[in-house]
Amino acid sequence: MQSDGKQIRRGRALLGPRWTKVRRDVLQHKVRTVLVVLAIAIGIVGAGAVLDTWSLLRRVTRGEFASSNPASATLDTESIDPALLERIRAMPAIRDVQARRTVLGSARTASGWRTAIFFAVDDFTAIRIGIVKPESGAWPPPDGGVVVEASSVEFAGTSVGDSLSIQLRDAVQPRMLPVAGIARDVGLAPGWMEHVVYGFVTRATLAQLGAPSSLDELQIIVANRGLDREGVRRIAFDVREVIESTGREVTNVDVPVPGRHIHAGQIDSLLFTQGAFGVLALLLSGFLVVNLIAAMLAGQVREIGVMKAIGAREGQIAWMYLGLAFGLGLVACAVALPLAAFLGQQYAEFTADMLNFDIAGFRIPSQVILLQLAVGALLPVAAAAIPVTRGCRISVSEALRDFGIDHVCGSTNRRLMRYSRGLSRPMLLSLRNAFRRRQRMILTLTTLAVGGAVYLGSINLRASIRGSVDLLFESMRFDMVLRFDRSWPADSLEAAIAAVPGVAQVEAWGGTQAAFAGPDSMLGNTFPLSAPPAASRLFVPSLRKGRGLEPGDGNTLVVNRRLLADEPRLALGSEVMLLINGQTARWRVVGVVDTGPSPAAYTWRETLAKVTGDNRMDRAVVESTVGGAASQLELVQRLRTELESQGFAIQTSQLMEQSRRVMEDHLLMVAGFLGVMSQLMIVVGGLGLASTMSLSVLERTREIGVLRAIGASHRAILTMIQFEGLVVAIASWILALPLSIPMSVVLGKAFGRIMLPVPVILVPEPSGVLRWLAVALVVSIAACAWPALRATRITTAAALAYE
Amino acid sequence: MSQPLIVLRHVSKNYRTAAGDFTALADLDLHIDARAFVVVVGQSGSGKSTLLNLLAGIDRPTRGEVIVGDTAVHTLSERAMSTWRGRSVGIVFQFFQLLPTLTAAENVLLPMDFCGTWPARERWDRALELLERCGVADQAHKLPATLSGGQQQRVAVARALANAPALLLADEPTGNLDSRTSETMLELFADLVQEGQTVVMVTHERGAQRYASRTITLADGRVVASHAE
Repeated sequence: MQSDGKQIRRGRALLGPRWTKVRRDVLQHKVRTVLVVLAIAIGIVGAGAVLDTWSLLRRVTRGEFASSNPASATLDTESIDPALLERIRAMPAIRDVQARRTVLGSARTASGWRTAIFFAVDDFTAIRIGIVKPESGAWPPPDGGVVVEASSVEFAGTSVGDSLSIQLRDAVQPRMLPVAGIARDVGLAPGWMEHVVYGFVTRATLAQLGAPSSLDELQIIVANRGLDREGVRRIAFDVREVIESTGREVTNVDVPVPGRHIHAGQIDSLLFTQGAFGVLALLLSGFLVVNLIAAMLAGQVREIGVMKAIGAREGQIAWMYLGLAFGLGLVACAVALPLAAFLGQQYAEFTADMLNFDIAGFRIPSQVILLQLAVGALLPVAAAAIPVTRGCRISVSEALRDFGIDHVCGSTNRRLMRYSRGLSRPMLLSLRNAFRRRQRMILTLTTLAVGGAVYLGSINLRASIRGSVDLLFESMRFDMVLRFDRSWPADSLEAAIAAVPGVAQVEAWGGTQAAFAGPDSMLGNTFPLSAPPAASRLFVPSLRKGRGLEPGDGNTLVVNRRLLADEPRLALGSEVMLLINGQTARWRVVGVVDTGPSPAAYTWRETLAKVTGDNRMDRAVVESTVGGAASQLELVQRLRTELESQGFAIQTSQLMEQSRRVMEDHLLMVAGFLGVMSQLMIVVGGLGLASTMSLSVLERTREIGVLRAIGASHRAILTMIQFEGLVVAIASWILALPLSIPMSVVLGKAFGRIMLPVPVILVPEPSGVLRWLAVALVVSIAACAWPALRATRITTAAALAYE
Repeated sequence: MSQPLIVLRHVSKNYRTAAGDFTALADLDLHIDARAFVVVVGQSGSGKSTLLNLLAGIDRPTRGEVIVGDTAVHTLSERAMSTWRGRSVGIVFQFFQLLPTLTAAENVLLPMDFCGTWPARERWDRALELLERCGVADQAHKLPATLSGGQQQRVAVARALANAPALLLADEPTGNLDSRTSETMLELFADLVQEGQTVVMVTHERGAQRYASRTITLADGRVVASHAE
């Protein structure tokens, strides 16, 4: 026995009696402690997963993108030869130069013919700019084979060893090419998102396919990596002059933002928004710590007095409770950090895929894990600081005179009585109990209500996204766009298409690339200029500013908001010089419209024909008489067959419904992550309610005993506790409604800025209010189940003996 | 004649209550010698507990001086008061006030832990010795809820002695015990005094005076009688 005693002695002496007390106090209230740990853990999971994702993506996008050595600028020209490359390489401002050919065509996928872009270089093993990383199969691409870019493999429905049917723009017949391998080019916008099949082929393969194989795209790297976009543009235009001095024409100069992936800003903003909600969930879980510690202190006032009486200083007692909060935080971290890392990894993989990056081999930085550990462990300490400071300040004499729970405040009581006439006595008691601990009630209410507001905000956001996508596509009153392998007179093209059964209306459109020509002969990036016929019935843009195109307008154009954001010099009313098909002409911007997700400008096809001197069209938009994707795909196939038999070869086709769905699904998927955050917050709120109700039952043990003694049944006690929870749930439901309005506006604005070319307009979703009520009620019933059950288990004798 | 351990000079204590100001102690002068067993008696509201609270530094006088040993207790800051109280005074409460989640031995260890009065390695042995001294060593590993009232009060006395205080204050220590247990408790206090401890005990227990070296009777916050036994 003595040896047993010594073992206990040593073990406990190590911990010290005050920490033994803390440990046992916690173990005495396991359920409540577990609820608080869970709430903190959920907060850490929410915030941590987003932080992990962000840190991983930052590493991947920065590291991978930089290591791909992206081009500072790309110039489109013709017949690039080694002599020209040497001449440009010799320019002092140029560090490196490389030539390739980009060929447009079609590839046959599971859902029909799709746009395909093929890249060819002299030697794939010597690519220095825009380095391509082989992933599987062969690399470099063999003659007669194709290596498919990783982001379009799924979209193309192909894999290594399959064959891909390919039709190049200038080729006569489609050809089957074996898929020799898969490689990734992180500089490309993802193929699955763009609906494009990217492939790498040799120049010999291009020749076999009947396409020109000379190199026509010049990629340069500037010597000074610190230059901004304008600085790089100046150098690119110096290069342009050199090229043009050799008699070649430069049709396009594209200068991306230096060192920054095209989607990096969007992803940063998106993760920032989601991270903000994660942090909010974490802060709300801090409220639970406040409640737990405050309740613990309230229940231990006398013990605090005794500890002070036997020599404990205020600081020593405070550290005991802060240590407890720290311990809870550490336990929550132990649960949450691995889960956050797992979810962060999954989300990072999804987002990286969206950006065309491969996350394999990248790990979450250790400092990010340490940061989460520090926040997870210290946030509960910070949350507990106020109740601990307040609780430990009590004097010994006050503490020893403590009588426990306060009575309900007189004025509150009177108000409650006034507004709750008609309720039974037990219900009145529940109502009064709900407001007995006002601070605790406010924190619990706030936690649930904020969760509800974000929940409603995310529901409204989904409705708003649909509304905004509607707005983007409402100008396009056609079902499909057909692009032909060459241009045709508008009348003959329209007549041929209109004759195909299933076509309701058709318009042949002109289209080309335009670039802003500055006064110093510098060009801006190119943008598409579409040209519907005057008084088009299939193109009715939503006008935002200025006026629409009018018959008889001269060189006028309307621009959409996405283009205006990219090229602010095209502001309403401005007179600008545009380079179109090698001709520079003056144009006037007369209106700003909302059309589709991509940058675009519009003029009448008659106007464009005058400027270019060519009145033939290479595209047509079609309104069909059939609805549904399957029927429309069938119509596309019919159009292909019938038009090709008349010599009009369709190169690519695009269904508007499909484009719209892809965009909407993509946006809703991202909005869905915000929804997950709101659900996490509601769970935290539910845990808060469960914890509050469990405290409430504990504190009223004696009162419940008295009720039992005077005849209250199990059912009456159960109903009272559940009703008390419902009071809180309904109050948070009501509070969340006004809170959700600014929340929805903020979410919509943030989301619109990040993901959409048009501002998201708040569309309140009325069903959301009822859904939130249902969620609040379910949360309340679930949260109160355990405390209510515990209340029924309290025996009268035990309750009356409770101190 | 031994040196007084406790000196109270012109000590008054007023409380403000809803019913108006209430004087618990009025211009009290008192000297208590070291190694005395002083019993303070008086009716409810006579100021007994207030006197004890002032001696323990739990309350502060409205006027006057409270000096225990070399310390002017009434001048101490809250922090210094805690440290002084932990090291110099042991308190035994009527309702024992043991911490319910700590065993008897751990309750005794706690004051040593807070005040750091004994080297950590020696604390456990001291706690067991004190429990042994108070006759409850066999209850060392039990939680208070499993002990009888008398055993709990003995553990409370052991806890009060943990830091070897100069003064042991007991507020109605037998008020919650049966008469037989009360008797053994008083014997324990008397033994402690024999061993050199100073004890000031507030009580209603008539028999307590048999063990005391001095009885002070309070009425309306004043000493109305003080005589050595």
